[in-house]
Amino acid sequence: MTANVALFVTCLVDIMRPRIGFAAIRALEAAGCTVVVPQGQTCCGQPALNSGDRSHAVALAKQTIEALEPYEAVVVPSGSCAGTIRCHYPELFDDDAAWRARAQAVAAKTFEVMAYLDEVCGWKPEGVILPATAIYHDSCSGLRELGIKAQPRRLLKAIDGLSMTPLPGAETCCGFGGTFCVKYPAISNAIVSEKADAIDTTGADLLLAGDLGCLMNMAGKLHRKGSKVRAYHAIELIAGMGDGPAIGEEA
Amino acid sequence: MSARNAILARLKGPVPVAAEAAALLDGPERPAVDAAALESEFLARLALPSVNASHDRIASLADLPAAITRYLTDQQEPLTLCCPPDPRLAACDWSAFTLHADAAADEGATLAIARRGIAETGSLIFETSPIAPMLPNFLTLHHIVLLAIRDISPHLEDAPLPGPQPRAHYWITGVSGTTDIEGTYVRGAHGPRFLHVILLQE
Amino acid sequence: MSGFTDRVDAALADPILKIAVERTAGTAEAKRAIAIDAFPDFEAARTRAAAIKDHVIAHLGAYLEQFEASAIASGAQVHWAQTADEACRIVIDICKAAGARTVARSKSMLGEEIGLPHALEEAGIVRVETDLAEHIIQLADERPSHIIWPAMHKTREQVSALFRAKHANPHEEETIAAMAQSARRELRGAMLGADVGISGANFLIADSGAVCTVTNEGNAELSLVPPRVHIVTAGIEKIVPSMPHAIHMLRMLARSATGAALTQYTTFYTGPKRVGDRDGPEQMHIVLVDNGRTKMREEGLAEMLRCIRCGACMNHCVVFRQIGGHAYGGTYPGPMGAVLTPALDGLAPNRDLAHACTLNGKCQEVCPVKIPLPTLLKGWREKSWHEGLEPTSMRWGLGVWAWFARRPALYRLGTALAIRAMRLIGRTGWIASLPLASGWTKHRDLPKPAARSFMAQYQQEQRK
Repeated sequence: MTANVALFVTCLVDIMRPRIGFAAIRALEAAGCTVVVPQGQTCCGQPALNSGDRSHAVALAKQTIEALEPYEAVVVPSGSCAGTIRCHYPELFDDDAAWRARAQAVAAKTFEVMAYLDEVCGWKPEGVILPATAIYHDSCSGLRELGIKAQPRRLLKAIDGLSMTPLPGAETCCGFGGTFCVKYPAISNAIVSEKADAIDTTGADLLLAGDLGCLMNMAGKLHRKGSKVRAYHAIELIAGMGDGPAIGEEA
Repeated sequence: MSARNAILARLKGPVPVAAEAAALLDGPERPAVDAAALESEFLARLALPSVNASHDRIASLADLPAAITRYLTDQQEPLTLCCPPDPRLAACDWSAFTLHADAAADEGATLAIARRGIAETGSLIFETSPIAPMLPNFLTLHHIVLLAIRDISPHLEDAPLPGPQPRAHYWITGVSGTTDIEGTYVRGAHGPRFLHVILLQE
Repeated sequence: MSGFTDRVDAALADPILKIAVERTAGTAEAKRAIAIDAFPDFEAARTRAAAIKDHVIAHLGAYLEQFEASAIASGAQVHWAQTADEACRIVIDICKAAGARTVARSKSMLGEEIGLPHALEEAGIVRVETDLAEHIIQLADERPSHIIWPAMHKTREQVSALFRAKHANPHEEETIAAMAQSARRELRGAMLGADVGISGANFLIADSGAVCTVTNEGNAELSLVPPRVHIVTAGIEKIVPSMPHAIHMLRMLARSATGAALTQYTTFYTGPKRVGDRDGPEQMHIVLVDNGRTKMREEGLAEMLRCIRCGACMNHCVVFRQIGGHAYGGTYPGPMGAVLTPALDGLAPNRDLAHACTLNGKCQEVCPVKIPLPTLLKGWREKSWHEGLEPTSMRWGLGVWAWFARRPALYRLGTALAIRAMRLIGRTGWIASLPLASGWTKHRDLPKPAARSFMAQYQQEQRK
């Protein structure tokens, strides 16, 4: 399968952990895709959208749609940002038929990266070896807006030596919630503390997920409490980059 | 403008089409019930922890007093019974019992006749009438219910009577229970702590 | 500090609250999951339940008129109230006309919403709450913290102490069963001696004029059958076309609320005592209450009128599970309360409610009538932004960020500067304290960003 695929990096991956973007490119290329990174992209606008700032959300949606519409498919290493483009962009243009059509067209071809590799490409990692036990946290937007649950697990299963172990409450929100975690830090902390405790009780080496925001929240709490669990975006392992530094580790 | 007119003025809209409302009920999702085994389906629900009822079986109505004697003796209760003025019960020999029609505030045992049993949930269906008071069924500690096996129906949709409704149509699906303190289930919150169903075979 | 954050801080500082909420909500969550697994195609049943409610909401006026006519034909008296005060006044007037000194009340969230307990007290009418949890709340002089378990915030130890202090003949054994018996002894006489019984309605049946109540305790029937007068206060959205429609909703309600197939007691009351009846009230009054519902229907909150008050959204909410119900500050807590309270009590004092949500979508997933709660909460956020209720720091911060985000070249410069600044602060791979992000670093560490952004690295690679 060859496809001309646009990578929407997401603002968080761009600034905080570029490795995730490069891992996505590596896996997509291994799956036979030609990957382009459109230069007109910045942020999908989710912070504005979820803050009630509709006019900025609309402006950023238009900019993102323009940047992404020339490509066959748009792939995003985040369930939350992919969900914004797929589920919420069309809602922003209720009274603008022309833009609504453009939003719907981009929405229809936008995929979370692991769902794209698994469901569209029918690809699996080959020859990737990583002896470790890992748990997977289902980030909420990916899970509930895009139905991402089995796809990352199927891909991770193809990694030799990686043993997946269940995380109790894997579908329970980690308390990140975008700006929620800084607007209501005390509530967010109470939620992520329980999540970190649940993670620690599994005895796993690695915490995996598909959204950097949630990963930073959980990894940051785990580190603060002195846990030894290391956190990665699942695509890093899938692309064979699981031997690199985990979140918060110096390169 | 009256409150009524003010509210209705803001709710003006098309008159609902009856067929549209009826179509919303086509092929309802509901627990499967084996229509060929209604009695066992009903009894299985009756025994669930949430319903928590015991049962007995009699061949004919004449056996009812003996069955109630068995139950009350077993429960170490006196043979005193609050009994509805239902003419069907006049055929029984109640000579062993002290009967009364109105329930006391702390009534011990009350008999009632269910119009229908529902296999889906183990529910007992009642209606008020001059021969079927409601309050005794809630005041009593032991609720003893007579149900003819032929009156067991599969689903809750079989419960309502067609046509004009009685003052109260009510479904009893277990004993009075509460989970209001720490979510812990306790029976006998306000009403009956025991529900005993006597199935009539004839 | 807003009232909300103060209440949140108090809730989070209360270790007993956390234990109490976890015991009840945790049990409810587990039981619901078992019930839904055992139900054939719950997803299709949710779709049907939502469609039934949408049909009613679309034709609400006609169904209300049909209900009114049917109820009057059954001998009931129907009253209409636009506001909470009007509804309370109608109830008080009926009580006074009946010469009532004591009322027995069966738990009704609508009653709480319109402030009926307080209004009865002001009118000098003795009020007996008969639901066990409401009885606890009345003794403690508090407000409900959950719509199904109003006393969810209380531990057994607290209830025990309360009953020992207030009951005439309290429990001897220190068990929950013994405490329930103590309440039974206390309440039975009060229920039988009441002049008026007041209830809400779980459903109003349009074609028969029946009012449906559900309870597990049987306290509704014990409160409503003995008194001379039965008063129902019901929100106008409680209508369903017929009994079979109610049956579908009842299947959804019980499973979503407690995980049971059905409540123990489900009663349909149609009018007052009939000729020859041995019990029942001489008068039945039904007060149909708007209190903002027509406005919600007009202003984009029609989907919220589907709500059947099962409480599943709050039982499954990560925020509710941490802060309990009182922190929300309204009659209704949790996700459904966060949508309803701004509509009932105004947005300005309640703008926090819409924001204190991670938008994780779990509430919508478990809602038996598929209310898009996250979408409705985002609607309130947008309204709040539009009305200028959002804090200046937030508006300013988002404005600056969006200005850059809309200019990709400048944005890249900005991100490079931000990365450099963050890397100066982080000594190891982690940043333990970051100005402007103390909300984050107060509780957790922040990973130090890589030396250069993805875009910078990617462009360099492309140039090779």
